[in-house]
Amino acid sequence: MPLLVKARSFLRNLFLSRRVEADLDQEVHAHLEMLIAENIRAGMQPREAQRAARIELGGVEQVKEQVRDSRTGAFLDSLLQDLRFALRQLHRSPGFALTAVLILALGIAANVIVFGVLQALVLRQLDVPHADRVMTLQPKDGGPFVSNPEMRDVRDDNTMFSAIAAYEFQDFGLEANGVTRPVWGCAVSGQYFEVVGIKPFLGRLLERADDDHPGASEAAVISWSAWQSDFGADPNVVGTAVRINKHPYTIVGVTPEGFHGTEKIAQLDIFVPTANEASLDGFSWLESRSYRNLFSVVRMKDGVTMPQVQAELNTITARIARQYPKEEEGLALKLARPGLIGDFIGGPARGFLAGVMGLAGIVLLAACANLGSLFAARTADRTREIAIRMAIGSSRWRILRQLLVEAFVISILGGACASGLAWMALTGLASWHPPTRYPLKFLVVSPQPSLILMAFLISVLAAVLFGAMPLRQIFKTDPNDAIKSGGILSPAGRRWALRDVLLAAQIALCCVTVTAAFVSLRGLGKALTMDLGFNPKNALLTQFDLSQAAYTGDAADHFQRQLLERTSQIPGVEIAGYANTTPLSGDTSVAAVFSQQSADFRPSSKAFDMYFFDVSPGYLAASGTPLLAGRDVSFTDTAKTPPVAIVNQEFARRLFHSEHAVGRYFKNGDGVSIQIAGIVADGKYFTFSEDPEAAAFFPISQKANTSTALIVRTRRDTADMVAAIREVLRDLDRAVPIRDLGPWNNQLALTFFPIQVATVALGIFGAFGLLLSIAGTFGLASYTVSKRLRELSIRVALGAQAKQILSAALGRMLILLASGSVVGLLLGVAASRLLSAIVYQATAQDPLVLAAVALTLLLTGSLSVAGPVRRVLHANPATLLREQ
Amino acid sequence: MSPEPTSLLQGTLDLLILKSLIAGEMHGLGISRRIQQITSGTFVVKPGSLFPALHRMEEEGWISSFWGESENNRRAKYYRLSKAGLKQLEIETKRWSRISWAIDQALEVS
Repeated sequence: MPLLVKARSFLRNLFLSRRVEADLDQEVHAHLEMLIAENIRAGMQPREAQRAARIELGGVEQVKEQVRDSRTGAFLDSLLQDLRFALRQLHRSPGFALTAVLILALGIAANVIVFGVLQALVLRQLDVPHADRVMTLQPKDGGPFVSNPEMRDVRDDNTMFSAIAAYEFQDFGLEANGVTRPVWGCAVSGQYFEVVGIKPFLGRLLERADDDHPGASEAAVISWSAWQSDFGADPNVVGTAVRINKHPYTIVGVTPEGFHGTEKIAQLDIFVPTANEASLDGFSWLESRSYRNLFSVVRMKDGVTMPQVQAELNTITARIARQYPKEEEGLALKLARPGLIGDFIGGPARGFLAGVMGLAGIVLLAACANLGSLFAARTADRTREIAIRMAIGSSRWRILRQLLVEAFVISILGGACASGLAWMALTGLASWHPPTRYPLKFLVVSPQPSLILMAFLISVLAAVLFGAMPLRQIFKTDPNDAIKSGGILSPAGRRWALRDVLLAAQIALCCVTVTAAFVSLRGLGKALTMDLGFNPKNALLTQFDLSQAAYTGDAADHFQRQLLERTSQIPGVEIAGYANTTPLSGDTSVAAVFSQQSADFRPSSKAFDMYFFDVSPGYLAASGTPLLAGRDVSFTDTAKTPPVAIVNQEFARRLFHSEHAVGRYFKNGDGVSIQIAGIVADGKYFTFSEDPEAAAFFPISQKANTSTALIVRTRRDTADMVAAIREVLRDLDRAVPIRDLGPWNNQLALTFFPIQVATVALGIFGAFGLLLSIAGTFGLASYTVSKRLRELSIRVALGAQAKQILSAALGRMLILLASGSVVGLLLGVAASRLLSAIVYQATAQDPLVLAAVALTLLLTGSLSVAGPVRRVLHANPATLLREQ
Repeated sequence: MSPEPTSLLQGTLDLLILKSLIAGEMHGLGISRRIQQITSGTFVVKPGSLFPALHRMEEEGWISSFWGESENNRRAKYYRLSKAGLKQLEIETKRWSRISWAIDQALEVS
């Protein structure tokens, strides 16, 4: 069995190498001895005999080396040699090794982190059985919301889905063991857990029967983590009686670990049937077609295709639209990937992550270009060594392999550091709770072992990229020339070397990241100083929902008025007011506006859509919304008096083409005429990057609302005031679970969250890009100067001026820097168009941005050549020339 | 397993080593002298070619080695032919005959 024999010798060569070596040594020496003995027998003198024998043998070491080369596994053996040599080389220049490993670690870590997030949020499917069959339905245009009757119709008419469910996020007041706490949960329809397809960890999950009709069941399911944290992992939790918004419920089951609902970045802890909505919300939307508040999730039957499903959906929605023209006109649903509320967040998130992934790739490329030029420079320095190795018979391939091994060692070390960095970053991100009242959590990005594989693959790729840079140098090396010319392979300054091109490319790439960073920074600056139409400074926001303490209608109204009266009396309060919700809070409502002449109230004949708020007297002043004309709402506006509203300028402009609208009328979707009592300034209502939108403020006293957002404008210290407001609320009713109480600015954080994330991410890349370009420029400038110091000294000695010396030494560096920067700036301008999805008014054509980028590059450029310049100017020709 | 194609010269050296080992076990110098003898001094194998070939052939399993005493009581490494080596000798012999016949033919064409 030759194969077996070979394997045996391979293993022997590998593991018993010392014995094999000793054996070989003995054998060759014995051979030499025998040769000598033979010569002596032939009559030679001992000395003569020895000499002749040595000549015949041709050198003990050479013979041994030839034998080694012929052995099985010789390749591996020499690879190990290369590895040892590479480690020695790196050990000899620790500065270079450290810089290279650090640059690579950062570059690879950036890629691994971004890829980790991309994979978690976009590429990976939901963590449920047969996730490929799970989708969501959402309207073709607009938000992701559907109404309960719409979902019911699709459920009853379709043949494509094995299960179909709707759900709504809700904050509940959960009373367990005598304590009421606000908990984020989900009202889910009957087939929700059929769609999800998970098995309960304890007890049972919600079933169709639970959602059959209002009051059908008082079952609630809690998440594994809620079971751990709120119920002390009690194994007998099933059957525990709790109260949700004051209504009795029974915990019937616990979801498996890791299940927090079907949105990837939301952590929901309790699930109840939607059928009981009326009792939980204080009003029923179950039968309303125009109240679209639900997300959907569906499971397609095996074997049906997306086009089939879409075709059937089109038929069903067309029928619904015909049947209910008033509410459902133009209804169209599409399939979207689940996990990020369909395409609503998913679309921008995918775009942004893809863009950031691109930037990460650019940074890695820049890092490779950087290391490539370092490697090329080192190879040039080692030309003499390489030439000698070639002269004594080493193959070019062997030399290249040795350099590649060195590159791999650096790269793998960098990759290992990067894995550590990425692991820490992703763990941090996973445990981070964004500053918002919403249950946002990025648990899903927790690092996976596959991340290490990813880091390894990127390392290998990077190593090949930058390790192969000196390829041309090696293959062009002529040992004869190289040794004669004293080791200068491509004399710096005579022609454009590969490393010069690499430097320009690297600067261009870094410039892209810097431009992107400045564009997003500028966008953030604009967003933060933008006129919001209200003033969150010096204002406190308190949010709660009275339905969680079982208040409805008049009782809620009474409670709110008492609260307003009591808080207004707190010393230091300038003015207070309340509304059902505040602008930019994320849960603003939209309604259609019809002109006063309209008699047709189908959606297609509406004038436009408006955001609307139910507000108390004083709310406008407390929130800092300027009242431009007319009057504020008043408690004398009641259900019995004619309906009135305060509208913004955009509303008036759109409806009347003029801002003189006080006293005029419009109609709502129910055909009710509403008189305009006042005009307020325009503002931002849903996102801060929106175009001017129409908005209206209705007197909350004409239509009670349990959802309460109390705004208190104060001159006093925040902490004192927070305590005072809390006390008032406690005093009024202990059972009201406070969702939020703090500076209004804090609660606007969610609105600024995406752009902040974008700015931080792009800022990091920008900084890293700058760092790389500094390292690259500095490295090449110092290298050039050190190579030419002798020549430059001669010039100085011959009387050259500082200016001439500088242009001789670094002239081409400046050309490289300038051309790289210009190309990079142009690329950056092109790339930042992609940013406009997230960043407010993102444009790189902003003169301020362009100036900032140019200045930054100029500054870093001069900073990084400053050292080498000093060295040139302070070089003492006398000492230098004597030394060499 | 089919034998790996070997270059002409290497194949020739292998053939000569195998052939010389037919006579019995031998150490390196013995093999080298034996080849010199059987080729009437045409081939003088230098240690730099001989030893790599011996080690390679041992790893192929054609020959095996052991330490023994040389004719004048020195420790020496001896090689002997294995079964696989015998088979290899046949293969190499046939190959060589074919080549030499072909070369002869070629040279006869005027």
